[in-house]
Amino acid sequence: MSKPAEILRRLRMLFHRSQLDADIDEEMRLHLDLRRQQQIDAGLAPTAARRAANVKFGNTTRIQEKSRMTWGWEGLESFLRDVHYGLRAMFRSPVLTIVALLSLALGIGANTAIFSLLDAVLLRSLPVKEPGQLVVLGENDPSGIGNAFFDPDLYSYPFYRELQQKNAVFSDVASIFSMTDDVHGIVVSSSGHIGADSEIMHVQLVSGTYFPLLGVPAQIGRTLADSDDTSEGDHPVLVVSHAFWKHTLDSDPDVLNRKLKLGDTVFNIVGVAPPEFFGTKVGEAPDIWAPMSMVKVVPPGWDAYKPAFTQSLNIIGRLKPGVSLTQATANVNLLAQQITRGLPGAVLSQKNLDKLAKTKVPLTPIANGLSSIRREFSQPLQILMVVVALVLLIACANIANLLLARSTARARELAVRQALGARRSRLIRQLLTESFLLALVGGALGIGFAVIANRFLLHMVSSGFETLPLNVGLNLRLLGFTFAITVATAILFGTIPAFRATRLELTETLKAGRGSIGAGTRNPLAKALVVSQVALSLVLMVSSVLFLRSLANLNSIDPGFNRENVLRLDLDTEPTGLKGEDPNLNPIFQQIEARVSVLPGVKAASFSAFTFHEGSWSEAVLVPGMPNNENIAVHQNVVGNGYFATMQIPLLAGRTFGPQDTGTSQRVAVISEHVARTLFPPGNPIGRHFSLGGQDPKDNFEVIGIVKDVKFNKLEEKPKYISYLSYEQRPWGFGDFEVRYTGDFDAVANSVQQAIHSVNRTLLINHVTTLDEQVARSMTNQRLVAQLSTFFGLLAVFLCCIGIYGLMSYVVSRRTNEIGIRMALGAERSSVRNLVLREIAILVAVGIAIGIPATLIADRSVTHMLYGLHGADPLSLAAATLVLLAVAILSGYLPAQRASRVDPMVALRYE
Amino acid sequence: MSRDEIPPGTLYLLILKTLAVRGRLHGFEIADSIQHNSDEILQVEEGSLYPALQRMLIKGWVTAEWGVTAGNRRARYYALTPDGRQQLSVELSQFERVIGAITRVIQTA
Repeated sequence: MSKPAEILRRLRMLFHRSQLDADIDEEMRLHLDLRRQQQIDAGLAPTAARRAANVKFGNTTRIQEKSRMTWGWEGLESFLRDVHYGLRAMFRSPVLTIVALLSLALGIGANTAIFSLLDAVLLRSLPVKEPGQLVVLGENDPSGIGNAFFDPDLYSYPFYRELQQKNAVFSDVASIFSMTDDVHGIVVSSSGHIGADSEIMHVQLVSGTYFPLLGVPAQIGRTLADSDDTSEGDHPVLVVSHAFWKHTLDSDPDVLNRKLKLGDTVFNIVGVAPPEFFGTKVGEAPDIWAPMSMVKVVPPGWDAYKPAFTQSLNIIGRLKPGVSLTQATANVNLLAQQITRGLPGAVLSQKNLDKLAKTKVPLTPIANGLSSIRREFSQPLQILMVVVALVLLIACANIANLLLARSTARARELAVRQALGARRSRLIRQLLTESFLLALVGGALGIGFAVIANRFLLHMVSSGFETLPLNVGLNLRLLGFTFAITVATAILFGTIPAFRATRLELTETLKAGRGSIGAGTRNPLAKALVVSQVALSLVLMVSSVLFLRSLANLNSIDPGFNRENVLRLDLDTEPTGLKGEDPNLNPIFQQIEARVSVLPGVKAASFSAFTFHEGSWSEAVLVPGMPNNENIAVHQNVVGNGYFATMQIPLLAGRTFGPQDTGTSQRVAVISEHVARTLFPPGNPIGRHFSLGGQDPKDNFEVIGIVKDVKFNKLEEKPKYISYLSYEQRPWGFGDFEVRYTGDFDAVANSVQQAIHSVNRTLLINHVTTLDEQVARSMTNQRLVAQLSTFFGLLAVFLCCIGIYGLMSYVVSRRTNEIGIRMALGAERSSVRNLVLREIAILVAVGIAIGIPATLIADRSVTHMLYGLHGADPLSLAAATLVLLAVAILSGYLPAQRASRVDPMVALRYE
Repeated sequence: MSRDEIPPGTLYLLILKTLAVRGRLHGFEIADSIQHNSDEILQVEEGSLYPALQRMLIKGWVTAEWGVTAGNRRARYYALTPDGRQQLSVELSQFERVIGAITRVIQTA
């Protein structure tokens, strides 16, 4: 008796069901016929013979059913029938079905999408060996390069080597160059030919210990090793990312014999990183990892390997097993003091030593990776997460309400079926199947929605020119979670009424028909659901009004320059072969400015180091007689002569740069109002001198003008210290080029690019956009929250209205005959309508009454995210309340109208 | 004519044994044969034969194929498989054990 054979036979029976049915039918008929014949032969009359045969045989239908049950498929069969019936029920009330499906899809989809992003940014562990043991020195992970005596966040390469040797708490230490170099690299063809076509490659410089410390093995070849990092400049090796290998090198299996040219150096590819490894910074995904020993060779050629007091590295370490964070912190702080004092060239002035003694180095666990986008987005994402969770609640309430209404309306149908002999368990199972079906389809839609929303969201949070390289694959655990919640809701609320309905006194239900005034009309559960929907919607509405107003406030801040009608682009001079800050670039810049300025539609044009929201170069402005200036970082913007005209930054006193300011004349500077007021002694600063850092004459500047303050990084920032230098006197390898234009942007953009290429064909132009767009990018965060919370707020209100509409329609249909009686007794149509509307108004009012305190509490927690607002103000609250009240009454108006049109004759005829 | 219900659980045994003795039979013949061989004492509720046959088909104790009766009608004929033969001996020994036990209990009284 082998089991597999038996299962096979059962399966075969499943597929030949109808055949088997017919077979049994036929053999039973034969049996009865033969028996009857036998009885007739024995002398019975034909009718008596038939009766005797039937009695002897038993209940045919039952036997047939029993035979069929032996195949063991009757569960499946009735399930299929339920599914079929459920689908028909769904199509019978398409509006309800669509609304329920939409609620489910949006609830599941939005939650999953936002959480997936939250997960990618905040929660997911690095794809490395035991990420829990990893720490970074310092609290933040800033990027940059500085020349301080000591910086608790950034370190020099010699410091890293010393720490590596002397520490007792890390199993190993690695350093990461804090900036990613964007290099115009050239892919050397397999035949060794070096072409001219360059492309941007994101190069991450790391110490040789980086890959071994992380425990990341190579997918092909090898990773970098400490032996690649022993002496400066002679280890031209690279590890490429999986994505780079796939897209740029076409997954070449012979990748280990391929080469890349970065700057003047040809590098050998020694390995490909595994697909899941994106590096250690969330939101950055290098194409290439090169050893720190090559830092000076990789453009732009930072000198960061040998100088002991040039800090540019993030240092990470892996804690030895059993070493606590506290022990490690103590050890690192002790060593940091010793190492810094002992580094070659240490200036052991009292000031430096005091500063060093006061500085503490915290260690920060980086199991989830280093990230700057995390700081920026953790809060908005958390707020959005709460918002979508509330929407999910509302969606669940909606589904619950709709299913409750529908099932209760079907009480009569269920009663009829029960009266006809359907078992209670069978009916409940059928309702369950229907709810389950609904939930399943909604869930599937939700997944689809999540996938789309996910991409969209990532695009929204990417404030730069490229989409953030985040792996925001759907979080399956969360998907499962939201799916489970919504499905559970559907099943719960689809089944509660099933239990309720099937428990009914059948005769009562059948007798009363639709006139029954039972649990239905005063359904406290349904009403509670609507009330809570209204309350939650109010919270979301008010919040979104606040975020929108905050965004509007932010957007209306005067940045100090005119953000309209300015084209800006990035110019890359690398292909000219001239290094950045080479004065020989200046003639090119001047020619471009001159040619573009005279183009039709162009009013002014100028290069600048920065415009807005682009980072900064800061130096202290030392004014003789002003003691504390060295602690104040002043943003230095290196600009062309036409900059102030292009940006329309008003000149308050003196003059701006002109042709008289040359590489050989007295160095001059224009300062901002704020600098003039706070860093200079009282009196007119024009004509006064200051120095940037050193005593050298080239660091000495004369103030020639004062301009109005402008915003530099963010619109909401306080006035910044800004001074402007001329590129004629302080060469700069430019990025930004601005053009003030009138007329059509595209036409101007075209002619500007042509003019630039007419000066030098090789110059690379990137990111042509408007200054306005650049400013808008600085508000990505606020815009994200405002737009999404508005979207979800509206969604919540919409769902809420549907909930009200569904409930009231249902109530009205239940009360048709009551209304009929009222009208027969002389009630006016308007009073009937008001009767229904009053009920809605009460529900909404209760919801709002609960919602207002909830809103006040909720909005207190987001106050610090608002600009120019302090929590929920009466205006926002009143506006949201009114809107909510209006749409709620409106959605209740239709059912109320229907109630008032009830014809008493028709209504009463059913009695 | 006394009508005694067959003891519960012995229907398989009766069918198996009948098929073992008589070879290929259709449902009516099986019912008839059981009744006849028990000297009309054992009355099978004839309908219940068919679910039992279905179960035996699934277990693989019998096979079924369509044939034609003497009266020239289509009928499904059942026959024992080797598995069925084995099952018969199992059921037989089980039955004998139970009957033996019952007999012993009755005789000691």
